[in-house]
Amino acid sequence: MKHVIIGNGIAGVCAAEAIRLLDVKADITLIGDETFPPYSRPMISHVLDGSQPHGKLPIRSEHFYDDQKITPLLGRRAGGIDVANRQVLLADDTRIDFDRLLIAAGADPRPLRAEGLYLKNIFYMRTQDHAKQQVAALDGARRAVVLGGGLVGFKAAYGLLKRGLAVTMLITSGYPLSMQVDETAGRMILDELVRHGLTVEVGVSVCAFEGNGSVQAAVTDAGTRLTCDMVIIGKGVLPACRFIPGAQIEVDLGVVVDEHLQTRAPGIYAAGDVAEMVDIARGCPWVNALWPEAACQGRVAGMNMAGRPVAYPGSLSRNIMRVFDLDVLTVGNANPNKDSGCRVLKAGGAAQQYYRRLVLKDDVLVGAVMINRIEQGGVLRSLIENRIPIRLPPERLMTPGFNFGQLLI
Amino acid sequence: MFDPRESLSVTQDGDRLFAKAQQDGVETVWERHEAQQPQCGFCYMGLSCRICIMGPCRVDPFGEGPQTGVCGADADIIVARNLCRMIAAGAASHSDHGRDLVEVLAGVADGSAIGYKIRDEGKLRRLAEEYGVATEDKEPLAIAGELAQAMMEDYGMRQKAVKMVARAPKKRQAVWEKFGLTPRGIDRETSEMMHRTHMGVDNNWQSLLLQAMRNSLSDGWGGSMIATEVSDILFGVPTPRPTTVNAGVLKEDQVNIVVHGHNPVVSEMVSKACLSKDLVDLAKAKGAGGINLVGVCCTGNELLMRRGIAMAGNHLMTELILSTGAVDMMIVDYQCIMPSLGKVAACYHTRMVSTSDKAKFPHMEHHEFHPHNAEKKAVEVVRAAVENYVNRGKVLIPVASQEAVGGFSVEAIVGALGGTPEPLIEAIKAGKIRGAVGIVGCNNPKIKHDYGHVTLTRRLIENDILVVDTGCVAVATAKAGFKVPAAADMAGAGLKAICKALGIPPVLHMGSCVDNVRILVLVSALADALGVDISDLPVAGSAPEWYSEKAVTIGTYFVASGVTTHLGPMPPITGSMNVVNLLTSGLEDVVGATFSVEPDPEKAAVFLRRTIEGKRKALGLDVRNVE
Amino acid sequence: MKQVVVHPERCVGCMQCMLACATAHSRSLTLLAAVQETPQPKPRIHVGAGRFNEGFPNRCRHCDPAPCQTACLAGAIYRRDSVDTVMINPDRCINCASCAMACPYGVIRFHEDPLGPSGHAIAVKCDNCSARVAKGQTPACVEICKAGALTYEEMDAAMRRKTRDVSRSMSTDADQPTIPAGVALLKSIKQSELQLSGS
Repeated sequence: MKHVIIGNGIAGVCAAEAIRLLDVKADITLIGDETFPPYSRPMISHVLDGSQPHGKLPIRSEHFYDDQKITPLLGRRAGGIDVANRQVLLADDTRIDFDRLLIAAGADPRPLRAEGLYLKNIFYMRTQDHAKQQVAALDGARRAVVLGGGLVGFKAAYGLLKRGLAVTMLITSGYPLSMQVDETAGRMILDELVRHGLTVEVGVSVCAFEGNGSVQAAVTDAGTRLTCDMVIIGKGVLPACRFIPGAQIEVDLGVVVDEHLQTRAPGIYAAGDVAEMVDIARGCPWVNALWPEAACQGRVAGMNMAGRPVAYPGSLSRNIMRVFDLDVLTVGNANPNKDSGCRVLKAGGAAQQYYRRLVLKDDVLVGAVMINRIEQGGVLRSLIENRIPIRLPPERLMTPGFNFGQLLI
Repeated sequence: MFDPRESLSVTQDGDRLFAKAQQDGVETVWERHEAQQPQCGFCYMGLSCRICIMGPCRVDPFGEGPQTGVCGADADIIVARNLCRMIAAGAASHSDHGRDLVEVLAGVADGSAIGYKIRDEGKLRRLAEEYGVATEDKEPLAIAGELAQAMMEDYGMRQKAVKMVARAPKKRQAVWEKFGLTPRGIDRETSEMMHRTHMGVDNNWQSLLLQAMRNSLSDGWGGSMIATEVSDILFGVPTPRPTTVNAGVLKEDQVNIVVHGHNPVVSEMVSKACLSKDLVDLAKAKGAGGINLVGVCCTGNELLMRRGIAMAGNHLMTELILSTGAVDMMIVDYQCIMPSLGKVAACYHTRMVSTSDKAKFPHMEHHEFHPHNAEKKAVEVVRAAVENYVNRGKVLIPVASQEAVGGFSVEAIVGALGGTPEPLIEAIKAGKIRGAVGIVGCNNPKIKHDYGHVTLTRRLIENDILVVDTGCVAVATAKAGFKVPAAADMAGAGLKAICKALGIPPVLHMGSCVDNVRILVLVSALADALGVDISDLPVAGSAPEWYSEKAVTIGTYFVASGVTTHLGPMPPITGSMNVVNLLTSGLEDVVGATFSVEPDPEKAAVFLRRTIEGKRKALGLDVRNVE
Repeated sequence: MKQVVVHPERCVGCMQCMLACATAHSRSLTLLAAVQETPQPKPRIHVGAGRFNEGFPNRCRHCDPAPCQTACLAGAIYRRDSVDTVMINPDRCINCASCAMACPYGVIRFHEDPLGPSGHAIAVKCDNCSARVAKGQTPACVEICKAGALTYEEMDAAMRRKTRDVSRSMSTDADQPTIPAGVALLKSIKQSELQLSGS
């Protein structure tokens, strides 16, 4: 059996490992555009903020491909897929045959439309190379502008603040992480950053960058100039789908897959940031571009490719980050629509430096936001992911003493 | 710092002030109780022993781990010893309270207790007679001095029996003699209890529990009774009078002083100081309408009984009333004062003052009161309270106050009945009143605040059972509106008729926790009038929400005196089914009464009604069926 | 291979296992000295309150596959098959708490550890007392439990015993109730109190 995996991020790596575990003899080829050993992508924000050295990024050894008997094709990007002939076309026109194919091509930063993007010290934040360049640019940098208040933009702003730069963050919603948290939590997080020196501008877009070789200012729609010597653009990611033939393989927000992570084309699977499947909490197709998701999806995809039909219940949004004195953990759908029939429980707030928000649909938990005291977050995530009916008064989940023992009747 | 349960109290001020406390970031007894979970089962079952340092030990209730302590004590002995020490502590507390009053009585006699005086000369003389002090042609002060000396004798080892044992019906005294339960001396029994529970002394669990009963009787017919009687002599016998209760008794436009603790020795002086013209003028000069003195817990009950002074709350309300922000000063003496209060007060402008050399607390200022300086000290602290009025911040007094009637001493009850207990006895014989229950004791976060007290009271009066209450219970039922004459409408037909005829509420406030002895005196009078023992009467006791060691002692002296007593929370005895069985059934054959445990007040009501109907049957009176 | 087996119905909530666990993971290895250490050692077993305030000893199940291992950003979590234990490498851990988000049992805590890198918090969880077991001792929590809530045995033996207990309790001739009378009495009182309070 010839397995080909497009993408050497964690989804591709976990898929390869899963296949190898189940099939000692399988032929596995892994195509990736990064030549660096498989590394922890989320950790690049720890490298930016200075808490971890760049050298700690790899999470598989340099012998990984040899040990797993994988044929690596690194520094190459996929250009297309010939579904009928079961071949992957690389950008240099090489053709790779496959029996089973996994599309784990990941996502790329959403590009910004603005003038002056060619100036030095303007960065996206996605790869270890970005992190390396950003760290190098810190020397001499004093003021930074961050575009975007989502996961990437937020972590970029935090990292730069921790490095001692004066940071201005431009966000569209009233508070950062608006996809993950509700307004109360968002304000608490925002206030924490502001307390540590962040400047925030809401509803402001950048249309151009000015500078002499390196960036010196960001220019907004309103015509104001923000002085800066470093810019990080974190305005989301787009699944890398351009090489995928949409006629045979359905692509919507991402590559659409079923519960076995298989696309519409038999024998072709997708996993990770590129894949779209039902979101457990939202109950509708979604792309959850998150590290633990990619790892799990990759593993399950690999098992299915190796002939073990394993169903994946769907993806689930979840994040955890430490932001100065706040620990923030989010799972599922924190902001249901008013007419969705969801019930929301809240406790704490800014005054208590503690917050917990639970969203329930009927007797099933569909969302949680925790600020501080996050140790039981995994229990809540498990309840959401497994759609376990909550058989105790849901207020119990909010108490300081809540623990797994209370779920046992 | 939050509690997800919808409501922690059956009272409105309880719920509203809890919400305020949360908002203000104030930690209360409920959060601390939650944080303690799970509470250690070894200790909760009475199976852990720390009496000696060959230990500490515990017995595995599941039978696999150790079954005896290092010394060889088994579960029965360990459980019994632990319960005995609780009773000793409770007896010591009440008796020490009595001791302080005897000291004041002696001080009044020799003139050193400035500002205190004999208020009821009649009671002084009657009590002196009981103590064998000749009263003819003697001045009250001389009588007081001799009576004080005689009472001090009760505390020691020179007597065969504590004097007021003689008040109990002869049949009851005979029961005590038979089983070696007659208390010989107040301190003596506590001391012997501590001795017996030392490692290697009394290792027979029945014998230990018998001494515990004797110890409790040295409190009930000794220390506590002395406390109540001497308080009546010094401060007056309570008579029925109107009052108000709940957090609404605090006034936004007046200086609010709260007294907390137990001994009227302190609160009476504070009460006097609050009436001083100089201080009232000072208050007005500070912009207040006057000085508003209110109480919480038993010292508040003492003032309510004698002076109609308002009660702001009971045990679980003591932190919450501080969160009104309206308390300019809280003055405490001893017992049931949570060490958390100083921290709570620090969130507001409230000054906390401790007054007893025996009771010091974190974050409180200490102004020590003694009989010779109490009058002066009271003026000092009240002045400081008035000065603090201008420091108030935001105030939330979340309810309007509730009216109530208190002051039902035995003398007052007999007075209301027309001079003898006959009308009550006739009503009981005729079945209009089925019997009476004394509901006593504290609050406990294990039971929804006041739920036990209010529910049980309601069910009993609905079924024509007269309720008398004391302590925290008395506040709960007053807050619930049971203590106004109109509350008779909540009672069954028979009880309603009697209450309306006499102009009394169906629930009678008999005082503070030491005033539980008034109930002993009342049932003795009823037993004597009927020519029976207390255990034959259609009466029972209940402590639906108790928490303290003092409560265990009170429950024990009630049972030892022949009154079957229900408890809401379980005492730490389940580690020995032998002890459980003795207390809940075996004691019937010893003292004619037992304990029962039932957290649900609805079920407790059924049990108490059955108990009363059972007694009626044995007396040959008419009986009602209880489902 | 023996493993720690939890019998939650026996837990009395005394928390001795927590004290023993923390002590076993200290530098000084005695309770009184361990409490004085800086940083203080912390337990990896956590006794929580159940629905009716009964004790519940919550420890790592050393899952296979382990969700924490899959989720770990730094690759710090690994499985030592020879002792059937999931371990956290304190030097690789970046304290991101992804493992806590993955753990369905909530047994991971974050703090500075006396035997880990100094000056910063890391993820800490049960390590099956590997150091003690290597010396021929039983895990600290098992050794100290006096109520029989934690045992150290082959899983087969534990399951056989449980089957026997259940079948015996079903027999009409059962001479001893599975739960002693005093324990059942206190439990029902506590349940009653909580239900009355509206919990």
